[in-house]
Amino acid sequence: MKKILVVEDEKALSLLYKEELTEEGYKVTAVLDAEAALEALAKERFDLIITDIRMPGKNGIDLVTRVLSRQPDIPIIINTAYQSYKNDFKTWAADAYIVKSSSLEELKAKIKELIEKPHVPTQKRPD
Amino acid sequence: MSQLRKDLISGRWVIIASERSKRPDDFRGAGEARTETADSFCPFCAGNESKTPPEVYALRREGTQPDQDGWSVRVVPNKFPALDRGEKTQRRQEGIFESMSGVGVHEVVIETPDHGLELSDVPLPHLRDVLETVRSRIISIEQEKQYQYVQVFKNKGRAAGASLSHPHSQIIATPIIPKRIKEELYSAERLFKKYQGCIFCRIIGQEMGLRQRIVYSDRHFCVLAPFASRFPFEMQVFPLRHSAHLADMTPEETESLAATLKSVLSKIKGLLSDPPYNLVLHQAPNPSLVQGDWPGMSKDYHWHMEIMPVLARVAGFELGTGFYINPVPPEAAAGFLLG
Repeated sequence: MKKILVVEDEKALSLLYKEELTEEGYKVTAVLDAEAALEALAKERFDLIITDIRMPGKNGIDLVTRVLSRQPDIPIIINTAYQSYKNDFKTWAADAYIVKSSSLEELKAKIKELIEKPHVPTQKRPD
Repeated sequence: MSQLRKDLISGRWVIIASERSKRPDDFRGAGEARTETADSFCPFCAGNESKTPPEVYALRREGTQPDQDGWSVRVVPNKFPALDRGEKTQRRQEGIFESMSGVGVHEVVIETPDHGLELSDVPLPHLRDVLETVRSRIISIEQEKQYQYVQVFKNKGRAAGASLSHPHSQIIATPIIPKRIKEELYSAERLFKKYQGCIFCRIIGQEMGLRQRIVYSDRHFCVLAPFASRFPFEMQVFPLRHSAHLADMTPEETESLAATLKSVLSKIKGLLSDPPYNLVLHQAPNPSLVQGDWPGMSKDYHWHMEIMPVLARVAGFELGTGFYINPVPPEAAAGFLLG
């Protein structure tokens, strides 16, 4: 079973994502902030991360760049209510940027696409 | 005593506030610390090509593949664009309101594979390659007639709007001519008639003669602190040969522009402690439009770059009135940069 880490500080939304994605057949771990996400990632390997941007403490963009510096091949979806963070080129480190909406169809389709995508390892530069 | 100075092109008045003047030396140490930590992943770095959309242009080592390591300058479209490439846009009227579909081009020029190497520090041939890349992209985008204006700009440092410190610049093409550019174009047209020639050529001639505000000059380019500078150490880079489009540059002029920018950006970095800055290209609209609808444009207008170090905050008075107060007279700024 594919494992997804959801990083979302709004509890109701976090619960909704957990229920909906569990129904889709994924094993979902939901945490409320970036620090908790880093702790979860240190203990367990996930197949995909969905993260909000505006959260208490470290924001989602910093989380993405931190995670990828250690685990460069993990697919990440940024899921935020704001279009404006698209201007921040650090968001490019994520594989997708989906603006929150009342329908989860776009998010579910992107998860499916990224989780089933053949694994292309990130190149390592020779030292 | 303070002096009110008028910028000829924009008609904007600026207060050169010499009595509350800061000495140019006061801006030493104004640079900002880098906020990215060593463990931050950068999507622009070599080896991370899979994190960007496929490249539309790259200068790369022979034998290397697109979207792989081995490049020296790389251009990619925006991964999460606000404007999409598309067909010619149709204007729509809704009562008294007007709208159009959001078509446009947004590309990022990744200026070097090395995250820590700034544009002022790259070798001269590499800086020439960056300029040649920008020139090539402008020519390519302008072949699509729906894009009336191609804007090139560079934000360096967080306070200048850059979210990532990896050296990059941006190209945005829009289906309309931006208002500010249109005002400059109309003004250039009007002043051409008044002075019987290109107003920019006239300004360059006067400034090169006076030598009070010239920061740098060579056979093909000059850099000056504008008479009505809005910001401390604001600079304009002009080609000495009259031309409305950057794409008209000869290879020799491109070499010269590279040397000019290297000199000026190094001065800013060294003498002002590496401050954030914005660098903006001003050029005439897409030549295919100019030839059709604006036949005098290539005579009236003179392309140039503006460099604006971010050393002072634009505050309430400026925002409320559009009136800028500059505490460093451009003559003092030029003198300081000349050393």
